[in-house]
Amino acid sequence: MKPLSIRTRMLLAVLLPVFLIAAMLTAVYLTARMGDMDKAYHQKSQAFMRQLAVSSEYGLFSANVIQLQVLANAAMQESDVVSVTILDDRGRILLKAGQHRFTRFPLLGNTPSTTFDALKGIDLLAYPVFPSVVKLDDLLGTTLSGVAIKPILLGHILVEFSQEALLARERGVLGLGLVVLLLGLLVAGFLALKLGQGVMRPIFSVSDLIKRIGLGEFSARNPVLPNDPLRALQIVLNQTAERLAMSRDDLEQRIRMATEALREQKEEAERATLSKSRFLAAASHDLRQPMHALGMFVARLAQLAHDPQTTGLIKHLESSVHAMQDLLDGLMDISRLDAHAVPVRLSAFPIEDVFEKLRATFALSAQEQKLTFHVRPSQVWVLSDAGLLHRVLINLVDNALRYTQTGGVVVACRRLPGGQKIRLEVWDSGQGISPKHHQAVFAEFFQVGNAERNRTQGMGLGLNIVKRTLKLLGHPMALCSHLGQGTRFSFELPVVAPDLDLLTPQEMAAPAREFEGRQVLLIEDDALALAALESLLASWGCESRCAVGVVQALAHLNRGWVPELIISDYRLPGGDNGIDAIAQVRARLGISPPACLMSGDMNLSLSEASKVAQLTLLHKPVRPAKLRSLVRHLLSEASLS
Amino acid sequence: MHAQHHFISLVFCLLLWAVGPVHATALVVIVSSERSPAYVEAAEALVSELERRGVSRFDMRQQTALEFKNSGAGSPRLLVALGAQAAQAVAAAQPKFPVLCALLPRTSFEAVLRETGLKSSDQFSALYLDQPLSRQLELVRLALPAAKNIGVLWGPESKSKEPTLKALAATKLLSVVDGSVAGENFLFPQLKKVLAEADVLLALPDQQVFNAQTIQNILLSSFRARVPLVGFSPAYVRAGALLAVFSTPEQIGRQSAALAKDVLLGRGLPATPLYPSSFSVMVNDHVARSLGLSLDTSLLTDRLKSTDSTK
Repeated sequence: MKPLSIRTRMLLAVLLPVFLIAAMLTAVYLTARMGDMDKAYHQKSQAFMRQLAVSSEYGLFSANVIQLQVLANAAMQESDVVSVTILDDRGRILLKAGQHRFTRFPLLGNTPSTTFDALKGIDLLAYPVFPSVVKLDDLLGTTLSGVAIKPILLGHILVEFSQEALLARERGVLGLGLVVLLLGLLVAGFLALKLGQGVMRPIFSVSDLIKRIGLGEFSARNPVLPNDPLRALQIVLNQTAERLAMSRDDLEQRIRMATEALREQKEEAERATLSKSRFLAAASHDLRQPMHALGMFVARLAQLAHDPQTTGLIKHLESSVHAMQDLLDGLMDISRLDAHAVPVRLSAFPIEDVFEKLRATFALSAQEQKLTFHVRPSQVWVLSDAGLLHRVLINLVDNALRYTQTGGVVVACRRLPGGQKIRLEVWDSGQGISPKHHQAVFAEFFQVGNAERNRTQGMGLGLNIVKRTLKLLGHPMALCSHLGQGTRFSFELPVVAPDLDLLTPQEMAAPAREFEGRQVLLIEDDALALAALESLLASWGCESRCAVGVVQALAHLNRGWVPELIISDYRLPGGDNGIDAIAQVRARLGISPPACLMSGDMNLSLSEASKVAQLTLLHKPVRPAKLRSLVRHLLSEASLS
Repeated sequence: MHAQHHFISLVFCLLLWAVGPVHATALVVIVSSERSPAYVEAAEALVSELERRGVSRFDMRQQTALEFKNSGAGSPRLLVALGAQAAQAVAAAQPKFPVLCALLPRTSFEAVLRETGLKSSDQFSALYLDQPLSRQLELVRLALPAAKNIGVLWGPESKSKEPTLKALAATKLLSVVDGSVAGENFLFPQLKKVLAEADVLLALPDQQVFNAQTIQNILLSSFRARVPLVGFSPAYVRAGALLAVFSTPEQIGRQSAALAKDVLLGRGLPATPLYPSSFSVMVNDHVARSLGLSLDTSLLTDRLKSTDSTK
């Protein structure tokens, strides 16, 4: 039920008692009035009867029917009189006037009687007629016997009175009473509303103010009028609104200050991160250049003839360089993953392609460690990024081999129920990982049982890279391992239908000086890296001309020399970049010899820019094998076109 | 001196009252039927008249008929019984002293005599209240000289007067038109018959004919018939009778006092009961005017008194 509004309640509070009192008064008044009317009616009819009895006395005494008839006719003129019947002392009807409605004579006695016929609304009054007594206090009238003279009954008169007029009058009075009651209620209601406004207005104004304050409008105020019945409340309410506004302003002030402080801290943190990133980028770039050069030199050095002792040293040197390059690669991978600089190219390919590379990569090292390494062949095609997937598996297998002393490593895939996915698993029979380290193994530089950070144990970046890469690919990963019971890493990837058109070309084995006499333009600002690159290319038979910038490169062209291939560093002196340099060279030549970019920067925009310029981007340090295969590829493409 | 006398009288009176009714000392005992105004008036008139005539108030005692019945009256020189009830009570006691019955109609006294077997004598006599028929007839003759036919309604009580009246009427050259009412049912026809012929309706005391209930209609009927009614008491005149001759209680009381004084003086009571010698005439002037009559009450009274034969 809907609660009553305050206005309705007030109206009720006024009208209900008023109604009760008015109704009671009306009822009392009406009852009294009707009682009076009833009484008056009865008194009137009784008086009428007495009068008629007295009047008809002589007529009855003298049996004067004519006189009685005159009386009866006169009586009939009286309102409410329906019929008049006059009987003599023996009950004989002397005369009748009007149409009498009674069906049965009443008992005629010496006392008046009244019979009421409710059905017809008729009162039948019967009156005995006695002669009027004249007081004769004379002594001569007394008798000795003491016998009182019997009353002499002269006759009876019967008169019927109709109550119709009485009832009509009573109805009229009732109607009037109800009208008065209604009018009283209307007036009371009107007054209640009028007077109530004096109370309601302040209440409504207070409730309105509270509502506005509730909505947060603390500036709202009600005028405080001197004759306001809720004056005290209005004042308190205004004060409350003021205090609320003050406390809100205070809170806002504090929040502003706190926000300001937080913003400053955040900016500071961002600045710190930025400077750290800058430092890292700069450091890795600056590290990369010498590392790059070192790799080139060592590769060049190994191709020379040496005595066995030197050859041994060079081998150690090579492995050290590899380790450093691995570390740099790992750091670079993480850095790129962090920077979301690793593009994911999802495509359908047979998993066996990846497996084959895996076998080729690890067969030898497993053999050296006297471990079995088995990749279970599979005909399944999957939807993933083949390169990233390969890196993940390399990391996992490398990791497995590193921590396995006896037994071996197995890579297998199995279809999951439903056939929509496969689970790729890498098993080993190694030392296992305690459950308490299951989370930690995925952190950077975490290595179980390598507190002294033995370099041959790896850098502790593998699993971190695996985790980040799989997350990037959207392949959920799981680890199942117990200390001393081996380890199983697994992840799930979707299965697709085989696409027979896609077949990866096999890399061919390359002869030592396969690029004999090829003209290559090298643009590199770092002298050391430039020397190392030139030296490496020379070992492959290339004839290189070096330039530290665009000006020098164009100078080479001015002498009429035409390069078959351009290899340029991205960052060049004077704010130039490799993409522009290559474009200028090509423009000067009028032809477009194949070109590639090298860079120590790991930023995504560079990858995008090189993609737009249709240039292959190599990240420093560039592995000689990779460079060689690229050079081969670019030159063969050029010769085909 | 005078005050001392009064004081002694008072003491004496108190002593009398203290020792109870002293029957032997009362010379006259007055027994009233009741203590209504008429009896009180009559008794007072009697007492004061006796006092005037030299009888001490202390020699008179008043009592009611009921008191008489309860305790008797002792042995007074005379007992005056006022009213029919008093007469009846006293007669029933068979008194040994003279008794005068007064303020009662003749019919009542005769009824008392019949009941008790007493005879009227100088020991037991009466002073009637009602007027002698001759006086009434004379009044009619004086007041309405044109009236020749006297209408009379006889009832059981008055029937006995019929011969006397008719005889008297004859001496005055009047004729009597009469009707006899055996019961109230026949009243109106008889009345109608009488009124049709009579010049005047003479009412004679009879409870069966003239009473408080009938008088109104009788008066109405007679008035309609333009027949004047001659009543026998002031009440009749007040109710609408043309006139009446009657004796007031005071007149009766005074006449009784005269008779009592005679007894105290050693003379006996009149052996034959007496009609009152003093009387009054009363005329209803309204009725007289309505009937086109002009009557002078005092003149009528004087003429009636002068012609009265009962003196």
